[in-house]
Amino acid sequence: MSFAGLALDGLLALSLPILAWRTLAARDLYRAAILFITFGVILALAWARLGAPDIALAEAAIGAGITGALLLNTVGGLSRRNGGDDDERPDEPTDRVGRPWTTRLAVAIPVTILAVGLGWAVLSLPAPTVDMPSLVGEAIAEGEVSHPITAVLLDYRSYDTFLEIGVLLLAALCVWSLGLSAVRGEAPEAVAKSPVLAGFVRLLAPAMVVSGVYLLWAGTSQPGGAFQAGAVLGALGVVMVLTGLLAPSLGRGSIIRAGLALGFSVFLLVGVAAMLATGGFLEYPAGFEYGLILAIEFFLTFSIALTLTALFTTVPPREKKEGA
Amino acid sequence: MTGAFSSINWMLAPVLVPLAAATATFLLMGLRGRTRRMAQNAIGLAAAVGIAVSALALWAMVSGGGPVRYELGGWEAPLGINLYADGLSVFMLLTTAVVGAAGSVYTLGYFSGREGEDVRRREYFQDETGSFWPLWMFLWASMNGMFLAADAFNLYVTLEILGLSAAALIALGGTRMAFSAGMRYLMVSLLGSLAHLLGVALLYGSFGALDLATLGESASPIPPVWAALALISLGMALKTGLFPLHFWMPSAYTGAPSAASAMLAGLVGKASFYLLLRVWFDVFEGSVPPGAGQIFGVLGAVAIVWGAVMAMKQTRLKTLLAYSSVSQMGYLFLVFALVAGASPERGFEAWAGGIYLVLSHACAKAAMFMAAGVVIYSVGHDEIPRLHGIAQKLPLAVASFAVAGMTMMGLPTSGGFTAKWLLFSASLGTGQWWFGVVILLGGVLAAVYLLRFLNPALIQVRTAKVYRDAPRSMTVAAFGLSLFSLFLGLASAPMLDLLAVGGPFGGGS
Repeated sequence: MSFAGLALDGLLALSLPILAWRTLAARDLYRAAILFITFGVILALAWARLGAPDIALAEAAIGAGITGALLLNTVGGLSRRNGGDDDERPDEPTDRVGRPWTTRLAVAIPVTILAVGLGWAVLSLPAPTVDMPSLVGEAIAEGEVSHPITAVLLDYRSYDTFLEIGVLLLAALCVWSLGLSAVRGEAPEAVAKSPVLAGFVRLLAPAMVVSGVYLLWAGTSQPGGAFQAGAVLGALGVVMVLTGLLAPSLGRGSIIRAGLALGFSVFLLVGVAAMLATGGFLEYPAGFEYGLILAIEFFLTFSIALTLTALFTTVPPREKKEGA
Repeated sequence: MTGAFSSINWMLAPVLVPLAAATATFLLMGLRGRTRRMAQNAIGLAAAVGIAVSALALWAMVSGGGPVRYELGGWEAPLGINLYADGLSVFMLLTTAVVGAAGSVYTLGYFSGREGEDVRRREYFQDETGSFWPLWMFLWASMNGMFLAADAFNLYVTLEILGLSAAALIALGGTRMAFSAGMRYLMVSLLGSLAHLLGVALLYGSFGALDLATLGESASPIPPVWAALALISLGMALKTGLFPLHFWMPSAYTGAPSAASAMLAGLVGKASFYLLLRVWFDVFEGSVPPGAGQIFGVLGAVAIVWGAVMAMKQTRLKTLLAYSSVSQMGYLFLVFALVAGASPERGFEAWAGGIYLVLSHACAKAAMFMAAGVVIYSVGHDEIPRLHGIAQKLPLAVASFAVAGMTMMGLPTSGGFTAKWLLFSASLGTGQWWFGVVILLGGVLAAVYLLRFLNPALIQVRTAKVYRDAPRSMTVAAFGLSLFSLFLGLASAPMLDLLAVGGPFGGGS
């Protein structure tokens, strides 16, 4: 390994725990959210250095990008609810709860035990009894999809991915169940009226759409796929809502609901249709594997992007009056 | 696999049917008022029937031909994901089918409140957004998926669906207390599933596989396996609510709408306990460090007493029931201490006793929360001191409470009697008589805290004011389920036979 590579790895390994610590120790929530995003970006770099570009892409787009946007949105919503003024930020949400040494000790002891135990366990890991990479390699040699990650996610372990898409639909449902289908009102005026920003987004949008579709298409043979593509398009949705190019309601409720459920429904229908054809749930008929996986990924991308945007355009819950 | 209609495909129905129903009821959220309620109710009830039928079909299949395995996508483990059903899986599916069906009937009446109604009550009896059914269907699918899972990561995915949908169901109560209880449950649940995920990562790092059967074959008593076991056990003890990790239970079960409390207290905690049983006795039975079961046993014993004592001090009916759950969950954890070092027969006795308690407590506690919901619906609150003579006005609700209470106390013919008898016998058989003492003590304490409500409720003098009658579907569901729990003790033979199919300890005797 080159010296530069070694130096970069050392820097990444050093900055990750420091960033994690600073994020947790930050008393200002806004600061913590920014640090969390930075942490996500560094973590994505670390995955890339470890030779896992798929995870790096997902971490950058979802871990840093979308999650960061959601966190910042929440911080903003909290300070608005507390009657904070944007100019002075007198009520900026901070964690001012006292932390006496007993509390610190009560946290430190189990965390230390956990760290020591995990370290011991990791250092004594045996050589794996099952050689999973070569099992995947053998299966790929016979299949139609050449990228191992896509083959694992949408073929060998498609049932897990199917349920994970269910989790995404469920997440949107959970937010709506709190009575939040009312969305975050007008875009902030300063943003909406900025011609530079709006113009920039108009230029950015086509590029993001192209990269999203490319990531989706590339997924069958190289890093990329529905999750990464969906995250990029979801981020585009967030930016468009922020600049007022897209109404926060996104459209009529019933249509949005159908869009959210589309990916999951298509996955379920393909699984059951495959069962009718071959006798096994999600057991793709020979010759249709590539086409069916691409079709599922197409609809997943759409629903993932819509879910991520929809999660962003909600406000904190309004409480009902407490009963007697 | 031979065809789409081969019997093995029944294995998927308990997961796919509620997932399809969840999607359908989600799409119908846009409808308004009565139309939406009727449409969602119809789909939900159809799903409940579908789940029950498929659980019965699986029962016939497993007791006839032994455990069954399903290769999803046609891929063999360890490359692909398998589903696996043995006696324990089917037992849990049946438990969820019975309690879930009663809960589904109960919600028909529970959410019949109209918008803009007088809201000076503890609960709202409205589902303004129409999200109860889709959330409940996701929850049901996740539990069934967990009972059929044969893959460590697949278990994690089902845990995620379980935690998210349960948290949202708690928050559906709409009050400040419900929001914060839902949020707290979400944190607890995420912590629990992350601990599980960390354990799974260690296992994958050690053996290169996620399939439980493969893991079980490869496992040996080495530090990574211990660490994984400790993490999974900690996470699941947190989600099951083992003392002292029960702190989230009282607010969650009290703040949730009663229709949801019944399913949460009856079923959700049992799902994580099921995962513990699988991991301890099927996958890593040879790698558990000696003495580890005693930790669970002692904490369980403390929980039995502590939960019961706290239950006595409560003035709200639902909080009393929540602490009663803390106590009853304690019994389940005695299993781990009783099985260690026991002969196969004693081991089976303790193991089956714990699982039988899962079923009987699920029915009884769900029935009691349903009864509490009836009281709140009719009276507007559940303050025990203000419920004097309520039995005259709500005889069926109080009867449900009393009948289900017999399982808590462990009185004969109830499922609780059979379960606690098996546990008691195992504690004497393994020479751990002190656990036997705690089992008996817990029954006596249960009688005391249940009478704290029943005694004033049955008084003939002052009568609490009732200003509306609960819909019949609520009272019938509560009473039916409580009767079921009462007669479970009589049906123990076929159920124990079912548990022996593919179970550990060579099926006992």
